[in-house]
Amino acid sequence: MSIACIFSGLYCEADEIASAVLDRTGADIISDKDVVARAAALSGMNEDRIGKAFFAGTSIFNRFSHEKERATSWLRLAAAELLTEKENAVMHGFSAQLPPESISHLLRTCVIANVQYRLDVAEKLGITQAEAKRHITKGDEDRASWTKETRNEDDPWKASLYDLVIPVDKTGVKDAAEQILEQLANPAVKPTASSAKAVQDFLLAARVETSLAGSGHHVGVAARDGKVTIIINKNVLMLERLERELKELASKVDGVKDVDTKVGPNFHQSDIYRKVDFELPNKVLLVDDEREFVQTLSERLMLRDMGSAVAYDGESALDLVADDDPEVIVLDLKMPGIDGIEVLRRVKAMRPEVQVIILTGHGSEEDRDVCMKLGAFAYLHKPVDIETLSETIKKAHEAAAV
Amino acid sequence: MPKKMPKKKEAILKAATVLFANKGFTDTSMHELSELTGAAEGTIFYHFKNKEHLLLTILQTTNESIVEEFDRFIDGREFKNGLHMVEEIVSFYLYLAGIMEFQFLLLQRHYLYKFVAENQDFRSSLEEFYNCISDMFEKAIVRGQQDGSIGNVHPRKTALILFTMVDGVVRFKNFNLYDAGALFNDLIESCRKMLKPDGETAR
Repeated sequence: MSIACIFSGLYCEADEIASAVLDRTGADIISDKDVVARAAALSGMNEDRIGKAFFAGTSIFNRFSHEKERATSWLRLAAAELLTEKENAVMHGFSAQLPPESISHLLRTCVIANVQYRLDVAEKLGITQAEAKRHITKGDEDRASWTKETRNEDDPWKASLYDLVIPVDKTGVKDAAEQILEQLANPAVKPTASSAKAVQDFLLAARVETSLAGSGHHVGVAARDGKVTIIINKNVLMLERLERELKELASKVDGVKDVDTKVGPNFHQSDIYRKVDFELPNKVLLVDDEREFVQTLSERLMLRDMGSAVAYDGESALDLVADDDPEVIVLDLKMPGIDGIEVLRRVKAMRPEVQVIILTGHGSEEDRDVCMKLGAFAYLHKPVDIETLSETIKKAHEAAAV
Repeated sequence: MPKKMPKKKEAILKAATVLFANKGFTDTSMHELSELTGAAEGTIFYHFKNKEHLLLTILQTTNESIVEEFDRFIDGREFKNGLHMVEEIVSFYLYLAGIMEFQFLLLQRHYLYKFVAENQDFRSSLEEFYNCISDMFEKAIVRGQQDGSIGNVHPRKTALILFTMVDGVVRFKNFNLYDAGALFNDLIESCRKMLKPDGETAR
């Protein structure tokens, strides 16, 4: 019997699809929970720590001890063991990305839907839209980083990674399950002698990988008919020495007939740093007591690649100037507490190079003169065209740069 | 240095650390830093007088956080004996070198030490860092000699030998000389052998 591997986006009803397939085939489920539990038992590492390997962000992981890679290698071994034990199974979750492409009797399935559909599914579960949006963004990020790690592909939904991609928003749960059942019967995914061997090779490679990880080495491992290839993805000057050590360690693992090493594509990594490598605070501070207005404005500026912070009164605006260090401020004049003119006066006294754009609904000519004298960069009236405003912000930012 | 730093200042420091650590001092330009962080050059100069002041601030904050991390680490931990404390300090040093990769790489750049001759602030900052680590090793050795877990070695000198050993492993990693993580178990074993009480053979 073929094994269905189901990888899916959050709120795509993949659980329902998986259980429909399970009901009809009488297969066993191999869930992430099962794989993590097995990996924990094999490694002696704690389940929580191992499970964290699925998620993006490496804050708790150390670049020296490579805990994330270590956890992943144990997950791979656990998945390999479970695959050899179960003939009839549905592997569902992050784990579905673990088996290598050489195992041909796996039906690799991706279940995904458009955002609106996913939001609707979340709503039925009683999750607010804002919360669901956050979950989806984070969930997709995790899946992207995991797919990069396991299949070396940035886009987790890329069709070429799968045998079957199901847009559940178009098919619905029932039809999605039907499609999987139909494809499971396809001769192309029938188990064969060579696909059974591929599972054994996967198991062997995973055993070598965990064994090397136990000695502190983190490398890619592939196996074919008992012949192991170790892929070094780390730039190392003493390469020959490292290769010798890896071969020596790997050849001690049971079942290894021969070991070869090669250098992977990441071996010669150049030191290029991009903007995205740094988490940057916002450049623009929006100050206005009309909450809805500033929030809409903030969202629109985000679309134009201008991160913005928001304050609803003068006092918190001044706090944010000290804390967030913006370069441009868009300021309303009429606010409760400290008014806009006073905020402008204090900002200019504190940080003269910060550019302030006044945006007001009720300002007079007199106000305009006062503001310009105090050093405002521009004086705009509400309602403002978003293009005009973002153009003015851009100019103000350039002025701040001088 | 105030405890809470504006976020932008922090972002500038972070990016500058990466550039200084990888490209060196003369090859890092304020213009590049401005492009990388999106912060206007005026903003950078508002926070830091000049490039040298920026480097010094990185050094001081790095120093502060390493000393702070070690204090927190020592305070919150029960050590079985002096030898155990030495082993834990070695592990923790490597742990910090992993999470503060660029700071440690910077600390291993030679140009940093040339500022010491001309600038007293660089001197005190670096001295404090090296003293902090050496003192900790020394304290652990003295404690080990009192509880019998460590033999008759010269505490001060041995502390420095331990420090160079662990820092050398960090250098092997930072300069991509070898897969240094793989040396960890043997490093700990070497420390045990080196410090073992007299007459006892290593396990």
